[in-house]
Amino acid sequence: MYYDLHMHSCLSPCAENEMTPNNICNMALIKGLDLIAVTDHNSVKQLPAFALAAKTIGIRALYGCEIQTIEEVHVLGLFAVLEQAMKLQEWIDLHMPDIPNQTDYFGDQWICNAQDEMLEQEPRLLLVSLDVSLEETVEKIHELGGRVILAHVLDRENSVTNQLGFIPMDLAYDGLEIKTPEQKQRVLDTHPWIKEDSTYWFIDSDAHRLIDISEPENQMSEEVFARLWGDSL
Amino acid sequence: MNIKNLIEQTGWKLATEKADLNTEIEGVYCGDLLSWVMGNGEPGQAWITVQVHMNIVAVAKLREFSCILIADNANLTPEIIDRAEGEEIAIIETGIPVFESARKLIELGV
Repeated sequence: MYYDLHMHSCLSPCAENEMTPNNICNMALIKGLDLIAVTDHNSVKQLPAFALAAKTIGIRALYGCEIQTIEEVHVLGLFAVLEQAMKLQEWIDLHMPDIPNQTDYFGDQWICNAQDEMLEQEPRLLLVSLDVSLEETVEKIHELGGRVILAHVLDRENSVTNQLGFIPMDLAYDGLEIKTPEQKQRVLDTHPWIKEDSTYWFIDSDAHRLIDISEPENQMSEEVFARLWGDSL
Repeated sequence: MNIKNLIEQTGWKLATEKADLNTEIEGVYCGDLLSWVMGNGEPGQAWITVQVHMNIVAVAKLREFSCILIADNANLTPEIIDRAEGEEIAIIETGIPVFESARKLIELGV
């Protein structure tokens, strides 16, 4: 199945307001994707509306979040069960600094209902680091039943390699996200302790606009999906 | 100046027990972005940072820094101290911000 497991809804300040739950699901459907996830920065508050939209429109969904750790590393937590993902919010609220969003500079942070109506804005700026380490974040996502994918691992901004020099040897992640198939070899060349078959590799869009959602190019087998997220869908 | 002199003259706290305090300090590097530090640090430098991820030990080893200076009371964990002791890298907590730490080193002629 064709997937895209990293995209931002209108709750992320840096994403366009057109990234509403129904728009995302419909665009993914038009593009021919089978499985998608919404992964907003440091918040899961868009996920209930996204879950309903995905169900109505008929596209498989995972429920995600892109956490920014104290080292400013971006980590995706992806859950098969909405209720598990929602439990992240309490933990985020404990660890996120309370800095008011400035919408004219950072952008809107809209939370929608299942009809795409913008109900309220998240008042706290979401583009911040939680006061938790990368390791603590991985542990929390696992504790709640989610899978951990290190986001855009070779990016020059907020990637594990940029912030921490390299992917820590004993970090218990489940998958690595790269931008192109060629990046896999670069990761392998620079990390002799990572074997191609020792982890799962993902290529996602990190879309902030509808047009940027992945084309049907990246596939995952049902078997891999089941291994990572069970057959709960 | 070696690490022992530095601790005596600043009163900064040595966090690691196992390290060679006679190691000479040759210059200073400041930075928290480890990819950047890996690309730009030089052997012998004392490295001032607020980054307290485990990877700092490997970076210090790779760049052959004389010691790691943790500024601003960043939260150093026992795991990092253990790892640093294993690699015989001295970690010192300055208890003051990066800029103040660097200024102190300049005053001491490092």
